[in-house]
Amino acid sequence: MTERDHTEGVRTDGGEAQTDGGETDGGAGLPANVPPDDQTPTWHDRKARTQGLSRLTYEYFERARYEDQVLRQESDYVERDVLAFPTWPHETIRNLAITSFFLGMMFFVSAALPPHLPDPADPANTPPVILPDWYLYWSFGLLHLDPINPNLAILGGDKLVSDRVYGVLANLVVVGFIAMVPFLNKGSARRPVEEPFWGALGVAGVVFAITIAIVPIQNIVAEFIDIMTINLLFALSFILPVVAFFIAYAVLKTMQEGYMYELNKRYYRLRPPR
Amino acid sequence: MADEFIKGLAILTGSGMVWFTVAAWYRTEGFGGTQLIAPRPEEDLGTYGEALLVIGDIALYFALIGAITFWVLVPAFREGRRAWEERQRAD
Repeated sequence: MTERDHTEGVRTDGGEAQTDGGETDGGAGLPANVPPDDQTPTWHDRKARTQGLSRLTYEYFERARYEDQVLRQESDYVERDVLAFPTWPHETIRNLAITSFFLGMMFFVSAALPPHLPDPADPANTPPVILPDWYLYWSFGLLHLDPINPNLAILGGDKLVSDRVYGVLANLVVVGFIAMVPFLNKGSARRPVEEPFWGALGVAGVVFAITIAIVPIQNIVAEFIDIMTINLLFALSFILPVVAFFIAYAVLKTMQEGYMYELNKRYYRLRPPR
Repeated sequence: MADEFIKGLAILTGSGMVWFTVAAWYRTEGFGGTQLIAPRPEEDLGTYGEALLVIGDIALYFALIGAITFWVLVPAFREGRRAWEERQRAD
């Protein structure tokens, strides 16, 4: 299947039939529509389509595009700017394959490695370490912010709110900020390099989620690492996210120019502007 | 580049699953004890058990070396060759 086969005679925009510039216009010398050099597929691109997975992908998309065009030619429906695949058979078979894969994984793991069933809980015996499920460690850590709950001089050295309330407020602040992020940043960037500030902020958030999770178990961690004290660990859990922010920002900012250049080059070669 | 990534990932996950299974069968003391990296059991495992231990070791090294090869070594080699070719062209 060549490029010409399915471009000939197809009119998607109501204008002239588009060609790939292979024919002449009545002996005027130049083809009617010569694509600029940077939009022509390179030999590397052409070669990449002739083997392996890239060939399979290419043929699949070409086939889908071709079927699409045949449908468009045969019917009188209005052309829309939508790129999609039909639910049957494309999407259905793909989803069946994915579902079968995960079902197989679950059967395999549950059959080969049956899970450990612990003894029933003993209400008379409190375990030495009490922790919530792992995905709540960060929230549990925010409940342990007693050292930075300030003693106010104006209250005669008393704390304005109790440590428990302070921890709950800290949770509200963090969750509130996370809830605000979608309104502060519309998410038009596809990759972190496109917006280094927000990428670095995300890195800092992840690091903070890890360091704050260590706060409730800092006495255990401090026992394992000689140079660590509890105070140092507590300070580090706030310093490390800031350090991570600046490192990530510096790296992304440095990568940005070269990366965006490559991206634009590739993007405009694959999908030339109309 | 995407091809290299999926090759490395397939090797890491597929081979890692084999290692994971063998290690869970023979290298795990229990839920409370050392998991996956405990020393191999003392008792006689029989031919199949011994073979599985060897297969598990092979799978572990294959997973690690395979992932490193496709994610680090092959791209590094290509980048190096490209840089070398560009330097040749510049001269």
